[in-house]
Amino acid sequence: MNVWQFLADFFVNVGAWMGELLSGWGLSPFWVSLIVKVVGGLALAIGPLTAVLFLIWYARKVIGRIQDRMGPTNDGTAAGPFALLQAVADAIKMLTKEFVFPKERDRVVFLIAPVLAVAVAVAVWAVIPFGPQGMQFVDLNIGVFYVVALASLAFFAMLMAGWSSHNKYANLGAFRAVSMIVSYEIPQMLALLVPVMLAGSMGMQGLVRAQEVPFIVMVPVPALIYFLAMTAEVGRLPFEQAEADAEIVAGYFVEYSGMLFGAFYLAEFINNLSASFVFTVLFLGGWRGPWVEQAPVLGLVWISLKAFLVFTLLTFFWGAMPRLRIDHILGFSWKFLTPLALVMLVVVALVDKAVQAAGLTSPWGRAGWLFLANAAVALVTVALLYRAERRQQAAREARRFAIVR
Amino acid sequence: MEQEIFQLSYLQAIVPELLLLVVGLLLLGVDLVLPEARKRELSVWAAAGFAIVALASPLAYLGEPQFVFGGMIGSEPLNAIFAFIFAMAAFLVALLSRDDERLEPSGVYYALIAFAVIGMDLMVAATDFIMLYLALELTGLSLYLLSAYDRRSRFSVEAGMKYFFYGSVASAVMLYGITFIAGLTGQTLYLGVRYLFASAVMPAWFGMGVLVLILAGVGFKVAMVPLHTWAPDVYEGAPTPVTAFLSVTSKAAGVMALMRLLVWIWGSLPSHAEMTSLIAALAIVTITLGNLFALRQKSFKRLLAYSSITQAGYVLVGVTALSPMGLTAVGFYLAIYAVTNIAAFTVLVLVSNRSGSDWLRDFVGLQQRSPALALALLVALLSLGGVPPFAGFVGKILLFAAALKSGFVWLVGAALANVLISLYYYLNAVRMAYTRAEEPVEPLSIPVASRWVLVIATAGIILGTILAYPLYHLLERAAMVWF
Amino acid sequence: MITVQQVVFALFAVLTLGGAIGVVAARKLFHAALWMVLAFFGVAGLYLLLEAPFFAALQLFIYIGGIAVLTVMAIMVTRGIMKPKEPVFTYAIGAAGTALAFLVMLGLFIFKTPVWDVAAPTGEVDPNGLRALGQALVSPSAYLLPFEVASVLLLAVLVGALFIAREKE
Repeated sequence: MNVWQFLADFFVNVGAWMGELLSGWGLSPFWVSLIVKVVGGLALAIGPLTAVLFLIWYARKVIGRIQDRMGPTNDGTAAGPFALLQAVADAIKMLTKEFVFPKERDRVVFLIAPVLAVAVAVAVWAVIPFGPQGMQFVDLNIGVFYVVALASLAFFAMLMAGWSSHNKYANLGAFRAVSMIVSYEIPQMLALLVPVMLAGSMGMQGLVRAQEVPFIVMVPVPALIYFLAMTAEVGRLPFEQAEADAEIVAGYFVEYSGMLFGAFYLAEFINNLSASFVFTVLFLGGWRGPWVEQAPVLGLVWISLKAFLVFTLLTFFWGAMPRLRIDHILGFSWKFLTPLALVMLVVVALVDKAVQAAGLTSPWGRAGWLFLANAAVALVTVALLYRAERRQQAAREARRFAIVR
Repeated sequence: MEQEIFQLSYLQAIVPELLLLVVGLLLLGVDLVLPEARKRELSVWAAAGFAIVALASPLAYLGEPQFVFGGMIGSEPLNAIFAFIFAMAAFLVALLSRDDERLEPSGVYYALIAFAVIGMDLMVAATDFIMLYLALELTGLSLYLLSAYDRRSRFSVEAGMKYFFYGSVASAVMLYGITFIAGLTGQTLYLGVRYLFASAVMPAWFGMGVLVLILAGVGFKVAMVPLHTWAPDVYEGAPTPVTAFLSVTSKAAGVMALMRLLVWIWGSLPSHAEMTSLIAALAIVTITLGNLFALRQKSFKRLLAYSSITQAGYVLVGVTALSPMGLTAVGFYLAIYAVTNIAAFTVLVLVSNRSGSDWLRDFVGLQQRSPALALALLVALLSLGGVPPFAGFVGKILLFAAALKSGFVWLVGAALANVLISLYYYLNAVRMAYTRAEEPVEPLSIPVASRWVLVIATAGIILGTILAYPLYHLLERAAMVWF
Repeated sequence: MITVQQVVFALFAVLTLGGAIGVVAARKLFHAALWMVLAFFGVAGLYLLLEAPFFAALQLFIYIGGIAVLTVMAIMVTRGIMKPKEPVFTYAIGAAGTALAFLVMLGLFIFKTPVWDVAAPTGEVDPNGLRALGQALVSPSAYLLPFEVASVLLLAVLVGALFIAREKE
């Protein structure tokens, strides 16, 4: 095996090499596989943690530009070129800051909450497929569902933090966050079922393999629904109800300081990133891209690039969006996204079945019909919204003139 | 993967349930478009819907007793008969709800009644434990919500809460019992479980243990002692039409589900004598306790609550027979009991519309205020008490005869003694109605909807005697299917 | 020889039982709810051990994401719950005794039952188990009717709960 071959499937080969090395030391196969898994897991966990350092810098830079500011700079500091080391400095500052504990806190729960938040955020990465084979910690046959189920534990980190702080802002923040996430979980789940239905698999790897045509082309409307619900799930603007610093200071982690605060900050960024990865897997074809067959390691590059694009979009939202009011946010989910997602689920199921019955087996043919169906639903939706808006406007004006008279 | 079998006749077997679903959804929809002032019209819509369901319910029997939907439910004449009884009860209660001035029925109210009836139909028809559990829960949850329907009344909310808490614990215990069956036998179909029980793979005490757990869920619906504690408060707190509804229908569904479990599964145990003794003991305790408490009630609604516990006990006497005759008698009595109790509650609704309370003393002078109403009360209470010539008498005779034939002489003796005791409080209420009031009284007019309810219900009570033979014959033929 | 599976089982069993004891022993209602989450989590682990990841995820999703979250929210909106207070429960000994008696009875019941099929399933777990489950739920010769009844049940509860909880006008 030459160097190029080794590099082409780098991660799998490293794993295999390590396995051989350990077996050479006389370990039983069980321990070998266990150690390889643990090392792989650690390496995987380090991924998001380091990526976040870069992403914090990137997000601050982007938002700075959007808001006509510079963002982090190296003027007069030692932050390196483009202030790349700013995030590192921040991290060091955070690690060395004093912890300030509220007197009335619920001691144990207060400490568990940030740990749980980070643990859950990292745990999502176990099922993300970074490449065709082997480059995934574990390919659960219910991968997508695992991701959704983990989100339930994430609620708990918030609720625990909010409650244990013994602070009304923290409580309010936790409430808002949870009520919002619970509401958006429904359209998210429904939209998620569409790719699962098309792929016939809940496993992440199966979903990627089914996307000869990326699902965003096949079913753009569910993709949009999922994207919006996901934005709410990670608490990014315009759905930033958990923190809402202008209203409730910083929401559920207002009482946290030092690295405990840092943990929540970290978890938030990891959640953003992993949501981007999951979106990529669901709708953008995951690790698919040119030359992946020859060099599986390229899968990591493609999926990271796509996820980075999604993350950038989220960051644009962050920089450019206003914060919506909580009742508007909840109403949007229950009265618009949920019904639309239900309709999409039914429409896609019917059209897909009809297309298959008609004998259209080529992926692009199927995609075309599904796209047309999506476009039709989108048109009808827009028309309905337009009519509703017109009617409301008429009612508003009628009221206004009534007062004048 | 097993072969998928689907026939259109499957849908025919659940026609009443499908129609009920349509009625429920329609009522929810109509409620949205109907202006506030015309909300009372909903009761007519609902009653019409339930009447159609009642007329269509014979369709549920496909002509041959058979299993449908993979053995989840059976299509049997008895199921169709009970679908008819439940739909009729819903019809009468829908009309009655219109005239209860303390109740503001909306589409949700009638839809919940429709959903509850779906649950009860399926409880009777279920031949699978999973189906039974879901049907029980559907019935239960709809009724909890109906009990708490009058949100302005603290008692109504209390009734809903109590019903809900007791009910969820009871059904959890039952589910726990079902897990034993599913875990040990690997199946939930009644017939499969019966086969394993009958082949003595399972020891008898195991069957008894599981039965006790399952009795918790079903016995709760029947309000059988010791699971009766919820009944008086719920019956008293819930809006009166709801009380009328749940005291007859959910009880009937529970008894039928219990009877099917006993006849189909536990009756096949090699030694089921202990089991029937257990039921017999529970029956007599239920009757006696209900009676003793009913004796001291000053509220007519509470009196009817305890009396309905007693009545459930009488039905259990018939259940112990575990024979075609017992089943026939149980079916007959439940049908008669449904019309009788609804008649009694209708009188209560009309009286308390004026008095604003449920006290027994409000009935004083009823004969002067409205002779017809007093007469209806007389008929209903005498029928409940088992006085000839009313249908309750025939029903009790049948129940006791069935138990006697199966050898429960002591049980029938004790039950007869209780019938005498119960006459005291039934006649006491009648005496109140026929006592002349000291002050002058204003006449009480009967609104048109209630008039129909009273006419139909009293007609049922009297026809139950006149047509006893053909009715009995019909039920007997239906009952034979189980044996 | 203790296998790894047994160790993992013991771990999850301790989590489940410890969580359950925590629920009844906790002084603060909020802590009881958190212990409940731990117990649910342990059960999810047990499912995983039984090679039923779907049920493990369902356990997390429904019990922790649904039931426990609802419980905690209800506790948090209850007035005065944040204040330290007297133990709510004053019949601890009687309740523990009753529970113990019930436990002994159930234990006897379970252990005396002779026919538990304890043989481990042989061979690989059916990779299409999930598919079979899904098909059974909508097959008219299997669980179609209960499945639809469950949906009616949810509708009834949804509508009714909305009605009950609606603000009084």
